[in-house]
Amino acid sequence: MNNRLKVLRAERNWSQADLAEQLGVSRQTVNALETGRYDPSLPLAFKIARVFGHPIESIFTED
Amino acid sequence: MNEPAKPSRPHGPAAYVLALGASIILGGLAGIGSAFLGDQPGPVGIALTAAMISAAMAGGTAGCIWWWRGIDEAAREAHKWAWWWGGTGGMALGAVVLLTLMFRPDENLLTSALGSSPADTFFAGMMSIVLFQLAGYALAWAGWWLKHR
Repeated sequence: MNNRLKVLRAERNWSQADLAEQLGVSRQTVNALETGRYDPSLPLAFKIARVFGHPIESIFTED
Repeated sequence: MNEPAKPSRPHGPAAYVLALGASIILGGLAGIGSAFLGDQPGPVGIALTAAMISAAMAGGTAGCIWWWRGIDEAAREAHKWAWWWGGTGGMALGAVVLLTLMFRPDENLLTSALGSSPADTFFAGMMSIVLFQLAGYALAWAGWWLKHR
């Protein structure tokens, strides 16, 4: 799965640690999400969507 | 979907140091208690020894639950994957070693340092498998994070 996490985070000038804090996950997890090497669970995907104020389908897309 | 009301902060290094310290103290207390109370002969001694070890195991399990609740979903996935693939792989490798030793008893491949009583042999076999599992688990866990970083 592809995602726009890195772009959305950069637009807000957030560090990975900032985003991790808001999501309640570790910075390593944010890194794994951004590089597309780990796909989040539905609850975490919804939380990401809420933090960025975008629908899930605009953040995550199929390969 | 079960979602916490507000984001929880994963455990930091200080929490792990605290947990390690608590584990050492708990294990030490169980060992001291077992040495004093379990020294009695007969069923009472066996029951007291089992009770002390059970208390230590219960404490360890409670610590595991606390730790599991404090890690995020990627960390949990890493541990689940590592336990299945690494633990199973390690167990298979350990079984090869133990079965080889078992089927070749006349070659004297086992060192006498492992003991000679049935209890010693049983414990050595059990711990060998656990060590193989933990080694596989550790390697698989590190591999998961290297692959997902």
